[in-house]
Order: sequence, then structure tokens, then C-alpha cells
Amino acid sequence: MTEATNAPATRGLDATLAALADPHRRRVIELLREGARPAGDLARALNLTPPAMSRHLRALKQCGLLEESHPPFDARVRIYALRAEPMAELKRWLEETERTWAEQLIAFKVHIEKVDPA
Amino acid sequence: MSSRVLVALRVSATPERAFEVFTRDIALWWRPNTLFAFTPGDPGVLSFEPGDGGRLIQTLSNGKEFEIGKVRSWSPPNRLVFGWRQATFEAGQDTEVEIRFEAIGDETRVTVEHRGWGSVPAAHLARHGFPDAVFLRRHGEWWQGLLSGLNAFMSDRTQGNQGA
Repeated sequence: MTEATNAPATRGLDATLAALADPHRRRVIELLREGARPAGDLARALNLTPPAMSRHLRALKQCGLLEESHPPFDARVRIYALRAEPMAELKRWLEETERTWAEQLIAFKVHIEKVDPA
Repeated sequence: MSSRVLVALRVSATPERAFEVFTRDIALWWRPNTLFAFTPGDPGVLSFEPGDGGRLIQTLSNGKEFEIGKVRSWSPPNRLVFGWRQATFEAGQDTEVEIRFEAIGDETRVTVEHRGWGSVPAAHLARHGFPDAVFLRRHGEWWQGLLSGLNAFMSDRTQGNQGA
């Protein structure tokens, strides 16, 4: 369960938002939404030097937004993919908040239509 | 911030009546629940102090008051905005609720927009476990929404800070 440690989870979220403050890093996330890509590919797409690309990828990896792997045939190639977890807690919270407001509005509707049938 | 919750429902009443009953009668229609727990263990009674500068408060059974938020706009019959803080929120975590009342024929559409979620109340996390699949299904759309929100939010903050 990822909920086991709750304080780090919310700190992680702040770190996520901080990491996404940079436009290059948001562009990386956009590109990876379409699928995993090697670092070199991303560098070309963003027109960045490999060291600059590498810094951005490291920042995104540190806050858990990306995961890194390499193909079995070549350990030097690094492939990056989006991870779902960093934002999953916020999504869950929003879904539950939405459901709770829906229940409140139904209760309000029942009440107003009872006291004011006219 | 980019995150918000939007829920709407029609009621058989005029906007004037809906606004009035929503605010005046909140103690009568509000259903205490574990998610919106302002003060753990005591559901209390909600009430609005009406008007601009008023408040939404929860009065506990021992008579103490918890301020959920200040009224930020009291504009009958169409619009009501107030701050929203729960006891489990972290310091500085502020959210805002806007209620809109729009006439649709002889009914009123009531819309709740709850916005300002940048993070999740810490105390909430340990208590709940959900199946991931339901949420992951909308993963792609969700990222898209987050990114467009962030792009707008950040654009005026990151000017001159575009470097690698």
C-alpha cells in the first residue's frame, strides 16, 4: 500500500508541483503521456543538450514522476516512462470530495423540495 | 491551482429561494460525514453568518466554534463564495467553495465548485485505500487537465526563469 506513510506522500506532492514548475519538464511529461521514450529522443524533441536533459530527467525522477529502465540488449540506453503514483492520492481525494458534494446536494434538494413544494 | 471539483444538480425552486434555503437552513439539510470532518468526532451544527464578511461556522456540542471559512462573496440570488478549511488540512492549505444558482426554466441549477486543492490532507491518507484501477483509467485525461492548469498557473510565475 502506498498510503502506509502519509506525511511523505503529501510532501511528495509538493515536490511534484515544484518539479513541474519548469516548462521543459512539463514538456517532458507531455511527451511521455504518449509512451515511454529514451533520453536521447527527449533531448532532441526539446532541443536540449544531453547534460541539460539529464538534469531535468533527474529532477523528475527524484520526485517519483518518472521511472527509468533500459532495454535488455543495451544497458547504456535509458528509457523513461511516467509513473502514476505521485498524483494518485490527490486524484482519490478529489473523487471522494466530488462524491461527497453530490450527496450534500441531493440532501439539499430533498430538503428544499420538502419545505417548498410550491 | 489546477485541481477542482465540480458538481451540479437541479432543484424545484427559484434561485432566490434556493439561495435562501441553502444558507439559512444549512443545519437542517447538511449531512455530517467522515470526509468533511471539520472537527474529528463531533459533527456539530453548521451555520452561515450572512453577508459579505460573514462566515461559515461549525458549532460543537460543547458550544465551541470552528470557522470553516469566511464568506468571500455573498451575492444573492446567484452566487456565494466562501473559504473552506478542515481540521485535517495542513497549515496554509486553503480551499474555496463557490455555489452558483442559475434559473433553468422554473427550476434552479445549483453548482458546487470546490477548488484550490494543491495537496491532500495528511490525516486522510492513512484511513483510506482504494482500488487503483478506477482512478488510473482516467490517468491520461487527468494529466492533460493538470498540465493545462499548471501551464496557466505557472506562466506568470516563471517568466525569466525558463532556463535548464
